[in-house]
Amino acid sequence: MSAFSPAGLLALSGALLGLGLFGILTRRNFILLLISVEIAINAAVLNFVYFAAFSGSSSALSGQAIAVVLIGLAATEVAVGLAIVLGLNRLRGSINVAEASALRR
Amino acid sequence: MSVLTPLLAYAGLVPLLTFLSFVLVGFLGNRLKGLEWGGWIAVLLSGAAMVVGTLVAVAEMLSPGQYTDVSYTWLTVPGSPGTFPNGVSLVIGFLVDPLSALMLLVVTIVGFLVMLYSIGYMHHDHGLPRYYAELSLFLTAMTGLVLADNLLEFFLFWELVGVCSYFLIGFYYEKPSAASAAKEAFLVTRVGDVLFLLGIFIYFATYATAGGGAGWAASGFKFANGTQPFLGPLVGTNTPLLTVAGLMILGGAAGKSAQFPLHVWLPDAMEGPTTVSALIHAATMVAAGVYLLAVTSVFLGFTPDDQFAIVAIGGITCFFAATMAVVNTDIKRVVAYSTISQLGYMVLAVGAGVTMVGMYHLFTHAFFKALLFLAAGSVIHAVGTQDLFKMGGLRRTMPLTAGAFLVGALSLSGIFPFAGFFSKDDILGSVFQAAQAHPAYWPFFLLALATVFLTSYYIFRAWFLAFGGPAPRDASLPTAHEGPWVMRVPLIVLSGFAIAAGFFVFDPAFASLLPGAGVPPTYTATDLGLSAVSLGLAGSGIALSYTLWGNGRIAAAPTGIAAQMRTVLLNRYYFKVGYDWIGRRAVYTVARSADFVERYVIDGTIRGFEKLFSRGSDLLRRAQTGIVSDYAGYVVAGLVGVLLLILYVGPAIVQSMGGG
Amino acid sequence: MILEELAFLVIAAVAIVTAANALLVRELVHTILWIALFFVDLAALYFLLAAPFLGVLELGVYAGAVTILLLFGVMVTRKRIFAREAVTGIGPAPLLLAGLVLAVVVVGAEELPSGEGTVHAYAPALLSQALFNADGPWLLLLGLAMLSALAGAIYLVREGRE
Repeated sequence: MSAFSPAGLLALSGALLGLGLFGILTRRNFILLLISVEIAINAAVLNFVYFAAFSGSSSALSGQAIAVVLIGLAATEVAVGLAIVLGLNRLRGSINVAEASALRR
Repeated sequence: MSVLTPLLAYAGLVPLLTFLSFVLVGFLGNRLKGLEWGGWIAVLLSGAAMVVGTLVAVAEMLSPGQYTDVSYTWLTVPGSPGTFPNGVSLVIGFLVDPLSALMLLVVTIVGFLVMLYSIGYMHHDHGLPRYYAELSLFLTAMTGLVLADNLLEFFLFWELVGVCSYFLIGFYYEKPSAASAAKEAFLVTRVGDVLFLLGIFIYFATYATAGGGAGWAASGFKFANGTQPFLGPLVGTNTPLLTVAGLMILGGAAGKSAQFPLHVWLPDAMEGPTTVSALIHAATMVAAGVYLLAVTSVFLGFTPDDQFAIVAIGGITCFFAATMAVVNTDIKRVVAYSTISQLGYMVLAVGAGVTMVGMYHLFTHAFFKALLFLAAGSVIHAVGTQDLFKMGGLRRTMPLTAGAFLVGALSLSGIFPFAGFFSKDDILGSVFQAAQAHPAYWPFFLLALATVFLTSYYIFRAWFLAFGGPAPRDASLPTAHEGPWVMRVPLIVLSGFAIAAGFFVFDPAFASLLPGAGVPPTYTATDLGLSAVSLGLAGSGIALSYTLWGNGRIAAAPTGIAAQMRTVLLNRYYFKVGYDWIGRRAVYTVARSADFVERYVIDGTIRGFEKLFSRGSDLLRRAQTGIVSDYAGYVVAGLVGVLLLILYVGPAIVQSMGGG
Repeated sequence: MILEELAFLVIAAVAIVTAANALLVRELVHTILWIALFFVDLAALYFLLAAPFLGVLELGVYAGAVTILLLFGVMVTRKRIFAREAVTGIGPAPLLLAGLVLAVVVVGAEELPSGEGTVHAYAPALLSQALFNADGPWLLLLGLAMLSALAGAIYLVREGRE
């Protein structure tokens, strides 16, 4: 049984989310984009774990369960993302998302 | 009662017969070359209509004062308590009473004769199926109007005769002047029609609503049979609303009967075939305005102010139109002005309270005016011009026509014993009597009296110019000859009527068709004196005419003030110019401002929106970069916005509303 | 417990520094090294929060599998593995947005709970019960999502597709 301030934890996940968003918005390399998304997802997972840990009730374990699912989903997302990277690379010879602007039309 | 009385219920046959003719000729006429393109069918069926119409009139004479109404309700609006207690029902029906029987007689007889005459007169024209179909439709509409048993049906047929008149004036539609005359006639009478409709609205509003009382509208605007007009108790007083309604009816009648100041269309309507002028613009349709006034005065009643207005309009018109006829050189237009003038007499009589005297004149006038037109038509048919100054000496080549025109002219001038003498003299005598009770009528009586002189002058001027003298003044005119028998027979029959029709009313049976004061005319010492005066005036008119034009030569053109007057008269007192000016100034100004509003205000607003959206979407389009990161940015921005809304804005609103 | 506070502070500092470095360095391979460090650091945090199963999962899935996948992606798309990324500028719109988010975070910081909280520990067996609970079939759903992702990934990288 340990105890410490949850404020720091929340601030940490907020900061990590902000970093992830920053990456998503500014990086043009698809792999960096994926990495940014991972950072943001991890910030969210952290929140689930915090609240599971600080809550006394037994149902709080579902917080950890969701964290497990999220980690799995994030791994899946990376796999799909890499598949996209490969496809994009083959199609355009580059993984710069600014060049993949087919969504415009 | 008589054996013919049951026939009164079948008066509706008359419009049905002519409608049948319209349908047959209209749809089959193109294949009936041998039958004068359907003309003979029209003659046959209008002849049948004449027989039925005459029998109906005779039946009505044999059972005096009989009121026979066959009507069908086709729409009933139930009333609601309070403002609209009686409801309203709309009916279509055929009413035979003395007045409509008389009109039916006139319309069917003249209609048949004109139809017969057309066979000869129109023989060389194109588009005959159209002509006979339209003429048949006109007869349907006119007899329907005559037999209408309620004001709305009356209006319906009133519009239908108007549209037939429009078609027939524009029969030679490839001629620009005919097309524009048709349009003018339609538009000018339209002014009157709108007023008429307003009058109906006022009667409706007065008698359908709670304040009005008797539920006249509930019975379908019907002309109810009664000993006194529907407005009976109100007639003697000047109720403002009823006065206005009466003036509206007068406006409608003035439009149809070409009364001042809506007279401008009738002379131009002479662009149509002469037969059309004879039937529609002399004998029947233009008389419908007078008939409307008569029906209104019999069944609804006019207020004293209305009566004065009617007298004024009638008096002014009869003089005013006669002056314009004095200088005209177009044979048809001279007769047309005389029509306006004579209609003025009838309106004058109705206004002076002797409705039946006006109808008496309508009856005689229909025959002698149709006669004058058909005789003029024969002349035009023979020499191919309408210019009186080019004609001359035609009495040698066309003796029958010259005689017929002379009979018509004598009747129009009111020379004893021709038909016009009795009816016109009756009007003058009656108005003279009315003027003694209402001094305000005096000026109009004097105008009417002066018109007697002018009338005989201008009609004999026309006769002398056309038929007098040794030979045509324009040598290039073809040698004239009488028309075929189909043209001669109507002239003879109508001449007979023009001589004898005046005597009819002295038969009590016939007089029962004109049940009212002044018919048949009585001859007291005063009346005889008045007759002598008017005969003297007419005689001096003829004498002046003979002096100036009797030798068949054209007098030197007048100079000085007379020349100026002549110019004014030839320009018809500049009424048309004035109307054109009003049209151009007022209507174009309104149209221009409407155009401005449309172009800059409405369109401008729409274009403004269009610019706003196209510029705005141009801006928004730039947001669509196609780059995933940018879309992610929008998502984040939206998320932040929603967060702000939930955390701060929402609670602030809830707080400001005094909640939670 | 000052020791745990201290440990947390160190871990948090490392997490931020590694994440920021991962996004800011210009060689992609260095990015992946930094992000691997970040994942290991997070695993440590999970252990600190008495969630050892999650910590192991983080190590295995993220620090192991995901990092290797990313590295693989870099290797396939780069001719020279240590190639440097071109510097990309930051437009005004992201800056504005960042400012806005920062403002929200700063304002939101006041809402953070104060004081200390107690960390509760659970036996991993309980977690497995929660995961396999018939009422909330988390793993089943995860399995379905992974299967469809697998199909999608295979479709995307299929040869000869234009």
